[in-house]
Amino acid sequence: MIKNFIHQFASPKTYLFQVTRAYPYIFVISILIYTISIFWGLFLTPEDFVQGNSYRIIYLHVPASFISQALYGGMAIASAIFLIWKVKLSAYLVKSIAPIGAITTFIALISGSIWGIPTWGTWWAWDARIVSTLILFIMYLGLISLHDSFANYEKADKFLAVLVLVGSVNIPIIKMSVEWWSTLHQSASITISDKPTIDPSMLYPLFGSMIGFTGIVVCLVILSSKLHIFIREKNKSWIKKYV
Amino acid sequence: MSKFAFNSISDALLMQSLNGQNHGLYVWSVLAIVFFTLLITFLVYRYKLKKVSKKIK
Repeated sequence: MIKNFIHQFASPKTYLFQVTRAYPYIFVISILIYTISIFWGLFLTPEDFVQGNSYRIIYLHVPASFISQALYGGMAIASAIFLIWKVKLSAYLVKSIAPIGAITTFIALISGSIWGIPTWGTWWAWDARIVSTLILFIMYLGLISLHDSFANYEKADKFLAVLVLVGSVNIPIIKMSVEWWSTLHQSASITISDKPTIDPSMLYPLFGSMIGFTGIVVCLVILSSKLHIFIREKNKSWIKKYV
Repeated sequence: MSKFAFNSISDALLMQSLNGQNHGLYVWSVLAIVFFTLLITFLVYRYKLKKVSKKIK
């Protein structure tokens, strides 16, 4: 039943038509939410007692950090679907998500480094959280290069899917690094099980910026996947009609 | 959400904290990096899509 459902709704053609229709709505709503949340976070929230105004970087750093890991999770799920049910669209999505994941991880690393200067007194430390995030960034770049190095797309898709699944071990390491090791990086302020340790006046714009940034990244994934589908399906008659 | 955290635009640009340090440089540079990274990514993908679409046509 799951197999039939996936095959029915996950053809590149159906996907392309659906996302093209949804794209403008997601884009406008996300930009609005993100802009309002960033304005709220930068100008309307009170100063932090310990970190001063530098804490406002949280509204830019945390969404990027969260999404960089979530995208890898998405790639791992898509890889598993591709390997189990041979869904072509899943393989396309894995390849399309990788560059966007690299960009969001780059933003997370750079914003974290800049935040580290006034907070820790250094832009870099060989800290478990920072190093595991750097590994994630290198993994994204490696996966992109690996796929591009193959002449045969089908082989490249399989290799990529297997490597993404192997590399997914890094995601719980990033998440738990602040608990398992003594790190400069603070532990999570928002968890599913506990009450957030941030004041609501600072928390609401943070949620807003995370939702807005997620929407913007979804738009980027849509563009990236569209490009990949165009390249892979360029000889099909339906794609000529679509373009 | 009602009260501004800064008294003037120059205060907002400098973002002077209770310890006397100005944090504006850090916050604004991160904002600029995020903004331009996203903008360039969008523009690059739109350009590539146009190019590939032309080839397909």
